[in-house]
Amino acid sequence: MFRRHNITARIFERQIRTPPPGTSVHRARRFYENIVPGTTIYEVECPDHSFRKFTEDGKYLISFSRNHQDLIVYRPTWLSFSCKQEDCDNQDLPLKAKKFESFFTQLYSVPLASANELICKDFFLYTETNQFGLFATSTAQIYDAPATGGAIQGVPSIEKITFHLLRLEDGVVLDERVFCNDYINLAHSMGVFLFDDLLAIVSLRYQRIHILQIRDSGSLVDLRAIGEFCREDDELFLNSSAQAISSVDKRAPQHMPINNAVNGPHLEQSAQENPFLSGIKQRLLSFIVRGIQNEEKDETMRIQSLKKKFYFHFQDYVDLIIWKVQFLDRHHLLIKFGSVDGAVSRNADNHPAFFAVYNMESTEIVAFYQMTSDELYLLFEQFCDHFHVPSKSSPYMNFISSHSNNIHALEQLRSSKSKATSFPLFIKKVLVSLPFNCQSQSPSPYFDQSLFRFDEKLISAADRHRQSTDHPIKFILRRPPHTLKFKIKPGPEAGITDCRTKRISSFLFHPILPLALSVQQTLFLQPAVVNIHFRR
Amino acid sequence: MGSWIVDNWPSFDPHNFSQLRPNDPSAPSKKTPITYHPTHERTLPPPDQVISSESKNILLRQFYQRGDEKLRPKRAAPESLAPEQECKHPRASIASSSSEPPI
Repeated sequence: MFRRHNITARIFERQIRTPPPGTSVHRARRFYENIVPGTTIYEVECPDHSFRKFTEDGKYLISFSRNHQDLIVYRPTWLSFSCKQEDCDNQDLPLKAKKFESFFTQLYSVPLASANELICKDFFLYTETNQFGLFATSTAQIYDAPATGGAIQGVPSIEKITFHLLRLEDGVVLDERVFCNDYINLAHSMGVFLFDDLLAIVSLRYQRIHILQIRDSGSLVDLRAIGEFCREDDELFLNSSAQAISSVDKRAPQHMPINNAVNGPHLEQSAQENPFLSGIKQRLLSFIVRGIQNEEKDETMRIQSLKKKFYFHFQDYVDLIIWKVQFLDRHHLLIKFGSVDGAVSRNADNHPAFFAVYNMESTEIVAFYQMTSDELYLLFEQFCDHFHVPSKSSPYMNFISSHSNNIHALEQLRSSKSKATSFPLFIKKVLVSLPFNCQSQSPSPYFDQSLFRFDEKLISAADRHRQSTDHPIKFILRRPPHTLKFKIKPGPEAGITDCRTKRISSFLFHPILPLALSVQQTLFLQPAVVNIHFRR
Repeated sequence: MGSWIVDNWPSFDPHNFSQLRPNDPSAPSKKTPITYHPTHERTLPPPDQVISSESKNILLRQFYQRGDEKLRPKRAAPESLAPEQECKHPRASIASSSSEPPI
């Protein structure tokens, strides 16, 4: 069936025909094939801020000052230029219209970071229902920090990390949450996951997952801290039993107590530290043990299997630390475990990692997989959208193309799967993106794979910096007639003659309007070149 | 229903609907339609049944199912062949992929 491309014909069609059930969003999105940001204003004179992103509802543009201390929020608007002549389409825009201020009005500028702190410019999370924004400021990182107070050796420490909750309408700071002498991975919001009103913050240094709730009034409320203790009253119970054990120790120092009721395998350590593993580590190890035990029916085979698969690697399992966390729904977490070295190194690919699904209510581990598990890969292939937790508050985030909801993305995945030389390596490459970073993909319809085809290496929905090329990035229609619809060219119009300097570009697409910003930067502190792409 | 005959609507075979007598509105038919009652109670729902949607999404259901299978203690060897194959079938029907994933 051929659909007409003429926009007027499409509007008439929309008046008389109802879309097939469940496809109203898709049909509305097809209009984006006709309305494209084809015009570019090169090298717009704009304030020297680092532009972070548009919020998912398109109401605000978030940017940070160059010195990383202030937050500046803009409201995206549109040109208000009118043309009185006859042949308006071919007229060039007047110079005074080609300004940054034509498209954005500044709402306010709020200083977030005090003297020795810097705003982490990669970190920003947005709750759409209340229009709250979460920002992070931190002091400098201290490497080789001593492992005191339950901290893990080898993880750096930051003296003070503050999370600020702001109401974006007016820039009022509603609440703050401070973590002292801790380490939270703030780059690309990796250590924090937001789902509806629940926030999961991973403290790498103390190995705790803090679950917080963002109330409608704007306060951040602690719900639980998972790590050393799973339930709220665990700490009380363990402290009282530790007291009892230490009194037993004094009477019979050579006998090491074995507490079967609460815990599985225990570790012999000095009397100062806790003699048994508690909290999530205990849950994890006992799940692994029970799984291995149940594989074998015969008692002797069972013991052999346990020795080979578990006790041989026991210390490795005990040394696992939480790397990253995401919500699967309000009660379940997907946790990535790995070694300490992998957590702090830049390239974590060479370090083994494990995935576990943890139920916060029943404090049970539900599933445990290695990172080359084909079972987990199959679940990921079939149900990828459920790993991108669908949130009720922003339903259009469900329409971001993934291989579970888009045939073209699925074909791409299948073709790379067939081209892969080694299946476990392919699985590792695909699963390395789990657990997902929160709000890291742009909901713009121009990235919808069923509408447009574009080079994924040069531009995609994921907001990260890319290598910049001189050639414009083409967006071609997926459907016949497969025409080139628009091009996005970062950088100056004439291109840069100096090929030696490496340039990186980032793209900010407005989620609703046909408006995009491309920011090209060199690695030296030169001002960035900002282009505005919009529809005339 | 009687208007089929009254209005002389066309049909393939003129003998169709010839047996049908239109209902006389002045004298309603005394015949009650035949009703059927079940002779057993096997299909009745339990009196306290509440039907609600599953709170866990399909991904979590899969995780729980595979976890339960791993942790379910296996029976002794000889008679386990037939029952275990029985329990393998539901998994194959639920998993939508054509190939059964290895455990």
